[in-house]
Amino acid sequence: MSTLAQSINEKAVRLGIPLSVHLDVTYRCNERCVHCYLDHDDNGELTFDEIHDLLQQMADAGVFYLTLSGGEPLLRNDLFAIIRRARELTFSVKLKTNAILIKEKEAALIRDLGVERVQISIYSHRPEVHDAITKVQGSLDRSLAAIRFLESQGLKVTMAHVIMSQNRFDYSGVQALAAELGAECTIDPTITPHINGDRGLLKLNMSRENLRDVMHDPTVLGGDPAKFCAPPLPATDDDLDALPCSAGNSACYISPYGDVFPCVQFPLPSGNIREQKFIDVWKDSPQLKEVRSIRMRDLPVCSGCAHVAGCSRCPGLAYMEGSMRGPSTADCEKSYAKTGIPSPNMIRLGLAGGSGR
Amino acid sequence: MLSPAANETLEIGIDIGRLPIAIQTDDPEYIRTLEHRFARFQCNPAGAIARLQVTVTEPPVSKGGDDELKVERAGTQWTMRRGDFAAQWNPTERRGQLRSLPFHYALDSVLRIVHSLELAESGEGFLLHSASVIRNGRAFLFSGVSGAGKTTISRLAPADVTLLSDEISYVRMLGERYYAFGTPFAGDLGISGENVMAPLHTVYFLNKGDRNRISPVSPAAAVSSLLRNVLFFADDERLVGRVFQTACEFVSRVPVFELTFRPDEEVWNLIR
Amino acid sequence: MSEKYIKPSRNIAARMLDDEMIVMSVRDSAVYSLNATASVIWSAADGSTPLREIVASKVVPQFEVEPEVAYQDALELVEELAREGILVVADHPIPGESA
Repeated sequence: MSTLAQSINEKAVRLGIPLSVHLDVTYRCNERCVHCYLDHDDNGELTFDEIHDLLQQMADAGVFYLTLSGGEPLLRNDLFAIIRRARELTFSVKLKTNAILIKEKEAALIRDLGVERVQISIYSHRPEVHDAITKVQGSLDRSLAAIRFLESQGLKVTMAHVIMSQNRFDYSGVQALAAELGAECTIDPTITPHINGDRGLLKLNMSRENLRDVMHDPTVLGGDPAKFCAPPLPATDDDLDALPCSAGNSACYISPYGDVFPCVQFPLPSGNIREQKFIDVWKDSPQLKEVRSIRMRDLPVCSGCAHVAGCSRCPGLAYMEGSMRGPSTADCEKSYAKTGIPSPNMIRLGLAGGSGR
Repeated sequence: MLSPAANETLEIGIDIGRLPIAIQTDDPEYIRTLEHRFARFQCNPAGAIARLQVTVTEPPVSKGGDDELKVERAGTQWTMRRGDFAAQWNPTERRGQLRSLPFHYALDSVLRIVHSLELAESGEGFLLHSASVIRNGRAFLFSGVSGAGKTTISRLAPADVTLLSDEISYVRMLGERYYAFGTPFAGDLGISGENVMAPLHTVYFLNKGDRNRISPVSPAAAVSSLLRNVLFFADDERLVGRVFQTACEFVSRVPVFELTFRPDEEVWNLIR
Repeated sequence: MSEKYIKPSRNIAARMLDDEMIVMSVRDSAVYSLNATASVIWSAADGSTPLREIVASKVVPQFEVEPEVAYQDALELVEELAREGILVVADHPIPGESA
């Protein structure tokens, strides 16, 4: 029996409704994180009027969850006007920010506007490690101060922690810090290739051994390693009939230039809201239609893999690797780190066995 | 919020553990759903010892995150709430009401609770998180928390073993002996039990290991392991006391061991 | 019996999904689903139309129910939503811009 949230999403998928949209309002940023996949220029961002109109179109199309991010959204001096308009249209608004520009006044405003949650990236509990990643000295202190301001306003805060090679010892410290501040904490061991296709960033990922240790750590999993790391259950028909994820099915991403993609991590250009109405892009885009047509059983390599029912496979990462119907090797590595069982893709690429363990 | 036209009351009897309960409703499709789901446990409602009236309804408001079952007692009345249903049960009168969506999940939960309450009150038994099987006319229980191996050991059982359940076992004393009963409540393997019963021979607490080994368990350890795995859902002091007494009585009559096993069929040579 | 006026609370997010209204309280992120009848009442909750009129003009014709039963059910519904903190219920019109 599914939860209410699950059944709402299932209904949205069934009716073809874009329940969630992630809108980046700028790619400009006041940090320069080493792993960031964006370029940071303004190449003609959507104006306030364009965003105002887009918000109305999205509300009419049934969008409920709206994530505002960037770059650094607070660099837009109309950000609060955008949030105010979104709230007038009763969106559930989540803000992703590095928060170094948030002090008491901003925190109070974010609270008054009724933002549901604020997500802040924290790379380490140690300033020297965090600041070396963001390339801004003092950024950790400022982000943590902002978290305190936001918490004091009663806002919900999530500390988003991405593990890479240079901060791989610090996730426990970050979790402890989150607990102390009363914030939630999410942990992600994924580094995404650059949006321009440069896969060089992947060398920032931690080693397979480290990944295995992380994937067996119950504080990261939030559950019992024996269950989580057990060999995968065989796939059922339901598993094979399933959609890979909500991207293009009940969710999509819009760039600061109005480009629509299935997801921020799935850079398949699917239309532009400066050229078409949002609902027309959502409904008629040939690219989104193609993404929507894919079920797990349609994936040539993955449908035959033991992990198919439980793998974290991201179609966007698969697309960046070469095919939206292909494997996502980063997710093969995670499944392998969890269970010790290599996927056919890993075997084919010669990644499993030998000294790899 | 719609007011249905007056319909005749329909009834179905569901017998689990030789405690038949009559379910009454005016929704014919709901009765059909129940007939299908409880097929092997159907009985004549006239012989029922308890009655539950069900109103099939879509609540005007559903709250998410309400998937947790809340069970409370107020005087003689128990109330049960979850996102998809609300129920009241009076154990003295053995009558209750349930407002449910047109699916059987709510009734499943209510039946588990009602049976647990009945068995706790009478001291005759309990529902236990355990797999149960019948072999050579005897019942064996394999108890343990999620991940301990209940599903695994059930999956490995040879052909001459009848599976009663891979998740919830029904234990009740009849006369002077404890029996295990099949129930319609299934776990990961989706095994809804046969409607059969057998005298309970042994209870095993499961552990995964690299050897198959049966080890003794002290009565105190047996009681506390049992209590950890008994289906219980309410912090009612008096009832907790009664369940404790039942567990002690049980341990004095039924052999309890620790079973460490490797995940292969050889372990079944030890269980006869 | 005095008239009741209803209006969604400020601290909510809401969107119609087919015939079901999804509501979220932004303070605690609790999510609610309102069935078709409740959704109609919610959509008409402008703070100035009495509940009795909402039920009479919107619920009764669309759902073919007894007016008095419908009004009692509606009262129960709005009280529950008020208890959850997502709807404001008052004996007088409720000021503020409409959602």
